[in-house]
Amino acid sequence: MSGNTSPIFGNLNWNVTPYTDLLQHVDSSTIVGAGAASVLVFGAIAGVALFTYMRWWGPLYRIWLTSPDAKKIGIMYIALALVMLARGIIEGFVMRAHQATALGTLAQPEAGLVAPDHFSQLFSTHGTIMIFFVAMPLLIGLINFVLPQQLGARDMAFPVLNQVSLGLTAAGAALIMISLLVGQFGTGGWTMYPPYTGIDFSPGEGVDYWLWAILISGMGSTLTGMNFAVTIFKERAPGMHFMRMPLFCWTSLCVAIMLVYAMPALTVSSAMLALDRYAGFHFFTNAAGGNMMNYANIFWMFGHPEVYILILPAFGVFSEISSTFSGKRLYGYTSLVIASMSIAVISFTVWLHHFFTMGQSAGVNIAFGIATMIIGIPTGVKIYDWMATMWRGRVRITTPIVYLTGFFLLFVIGGLSGIILANPSIDYQVHNSTFLVAHFHNVIIPGVLYGMLAGIHYWFPKAFGFRLSETWGRRTAYLFVGGFIFTFMPLYVLGMMGFPRRSPTFQNPEFLPWMYVAAFGGVLMMCALASLMWTFWTSYRNRTALAVPGGDPWNGSTLEWSSPAPVPEWTFPQIPQIQARGDWGEAKRAGDPWKGPERYTDIEMPANTAHGLLIAGAAFALGFAMVWHIWWLAILSFLAIPGMIALRGMRVITPKIIPAAEVEEADRRFRQQVASLASATRADEETERNRGVPDLSEFAG
Amino acid sequence: MIKPNTGELDPQESAASEIKSYTTGFIASLLLTVGGFAAALSDLPTTWKVVLICVAALLQIITHMRNFLHLSFSGGQSREDLLLVLFSAILLTIMAGGTWYIMSDLSGRMHQTMDSVASAQSQPHSR
Repeated sequence: MSGNTSPIFGNLNWNVTPYTDLLQHVDSSTIVGAGAASVLVFGAIAGVALFTYMRWWGPLYRIWLTSPDAKKIGIMYIALALVMLARGIIEGFVMRAHQATALGTLAQPEAGLVAPDHFSQLFSTHGTIMIFFVAMPLLIGLINFVLPQQLGARDMAFPVLNQVSLGLTAAGAALIMISLLVGQFGTGGWTMYPPYTGIDFSPGEGVDYWLWAILISGMGSTLTGMNFAVTIFKERAPGMHFMRMPLFCWTSLCVAIMLVYAMPALTVSSAMLALDRYAGFHFFTNAAGGNMMNYANIFWMFGHPEVYILILPAFGVFSEISSTFSGKRLYGYTSLVIASMSIAVISFTVWLHHFFTMGQSAGVNIAFGIATMIIGIPTGVKIYDWMATMWRGRVRITTPIVYLTGFFLLFVIGGLSGIILANPSIDYQVHNSTFLVAHFHNVIIPGVLYGMLAGIHYWFPKAFGFRLSETWGRRTAYLFVGGFIFTFMPLYVLGMMGFPRRSPTFQNPEFLPWMYVAAFGGVLMMCALASLMWTFWTSYRNRTALAVPGGDPWNGSTLEWSSPAPVPEWTFPQIPQIQARGDWGEAKRAGDPWKGPERYTDIEMPANTAHGLLIAGAAFALGFAMVWHIWWLAILSFLAIPGMIALRGMRVITPKIIPAAEVEEADRRFRQQVASLASATRADEETERNRGVPDLSEFAG
Repeated sequence: MIKPNTGELDPQESAASEIKSYTTGFIASLLLTVGGFAAALSDLPTTWKVVLICVAALLQIITHMRNFLHLSFSGGQSREDLLLVLFSAILLTIMAGGTWYIMSDLSGRMHQTMDSVASAQSQPHSR
């Protein structure tokens, strides 16, 4: 292989694109492949053309890409996640469409829309994208946006590091995206277990794409975890004791701790596999004393905490919205805190349940099976707490509440199937079947996706100054709930009937009706995706009618609702003194909450910098060069990263000073506007009368 | 003197007591290091040597954390930091111990022992 490697272009040549495959052999599989690449190419061309035509490049660079502001970074994370979500859902739909047409016969076993190898790439990219480039950016973005505002901090503890983390995540996502056009992706599933993904059985560039995307973005996530943890420990406003923090901050703290301790395990397992593949090591081969079981062990040491990294921010969101939209105080604050922390710790003790059937003795399986069942307890406590919060509240059926209801109904089913799978002897019967696929989608979609979309809907006015359309928001939520039920409930049945997951084809006609139901669910999910995009677009068009300059459209009780919408760069004109849990709610009870500070001072904010962008560029170049064995570029970009860090370290960085007069002018304008706006009652919440100033007499949270 | 890890001035602690704490830590670490070397050079049985060196190492870790990194159960920030360190230690123990538990069990069930590997290599291949 190394004999053909060109010194300049590495292993790159004109035969790596899906168009070449299409020219060599025309069938539905190569058409789908070339079609996907074309969507990428035309999407990129259309994007560039649009930005050039609208003259958006300058503002994009100045306002967004070089900003170290956690709020902007959070929004960029979410934008990245939504783009990747579109690809992930479309891939899911293609897989459903494929399996609905994949009934082969004994004479001709292979059938369906795409070729088996193409199908393997689809489920590998779908899993990788959905976990690492949809769920993670969604929750990291939401935490970035909300956490400092809820803590009463102006920014994260390390704003530029935050920018670098975003850059690394985006570089990883870009590697996955470019694999559509240049070369192939791996076929080993999102976990990429060796020995199949070792150099002997997967010699191409596919596994390397996965490895470098994971190594680069995983580094970004580790840094993010540190940033969150330090922010929560050191940047809380005076008086914001731990037990006064809103629950979303608590779950963010759990996420931060888990990111710090779990992500390195993934980096280690990926680095070991990379050494196996690039440098002839034998960590995971049978030769020279290696053991491939250790990959599963280290990977899931990350993988299981990861599951709770994904779900805990959603739990935080649900805690906030169940309280706000019921007009009640959160029930069982302390128990929710204890439950979150217990989940964070216990999640480190259950990883073996992902490989019950790998051959360890029954005693080991039982130990981890019991630990797995125990972790269901704190989660159950939480569900009861939220239901008790809503009990006898004046619940408004807004979009987040639709998501919450869907979550209640579906997540409990997913959790129950998890408890079933936690029993090793049952796991032996259904492991590696679509029962498992149904189970983890059943916790991840109602948990993470609904939670994050509910959170986006809830905090959107804070970011852009206008609410999202409730009508379309609810339609999207119903479509996601219906789409989920139709897509994944049949997979439970199929799994019980013995259909193995990741099968490109099957010969039993009894599977087919369920496949059709699941494919219909896939259509609903596509509609939900379209409806989600339409929600953003139609809300943007109606932004004047939906504007909420008062900044508190839902009559909330946490600190972030005290600032205008959209939030100014400095968030708070003066760092607030926290008197109570739900400080903003207490201020509402005390009378006039919109009292301005007596004195305004200059505010020091981190200056814009291209540091994160440059590091992201170098990281992408490093990953791409390593995948294609372009050694000169790999060495160059590998040296460029520490070089840029050193250069920045040697420069004197002057922060941006926002003069007191500017802050005072903006703040006074906001307070006058609040005074002039008519307050909106609960009944008016969805109408144009809601300008972000709620009726304080109705506040009961 | 500055309160550990906060940057705030602590009026209760004087420079003298701080220097005393560092000196105690330094001397204790020095003694424990010398003790480790002494154990290694002594005529004790190997098991005893290993045990002594491990104990000295553990004590020295505790000394460093207490006297140099200012971790203790008293005082708000020191206590918070110590709890974080202990939490890390627990998680790392779970991960390392769990790996050892799982992999030794798997190894007992799937790997050949070293003897049989050696005998398999000495035998000619018969395919």
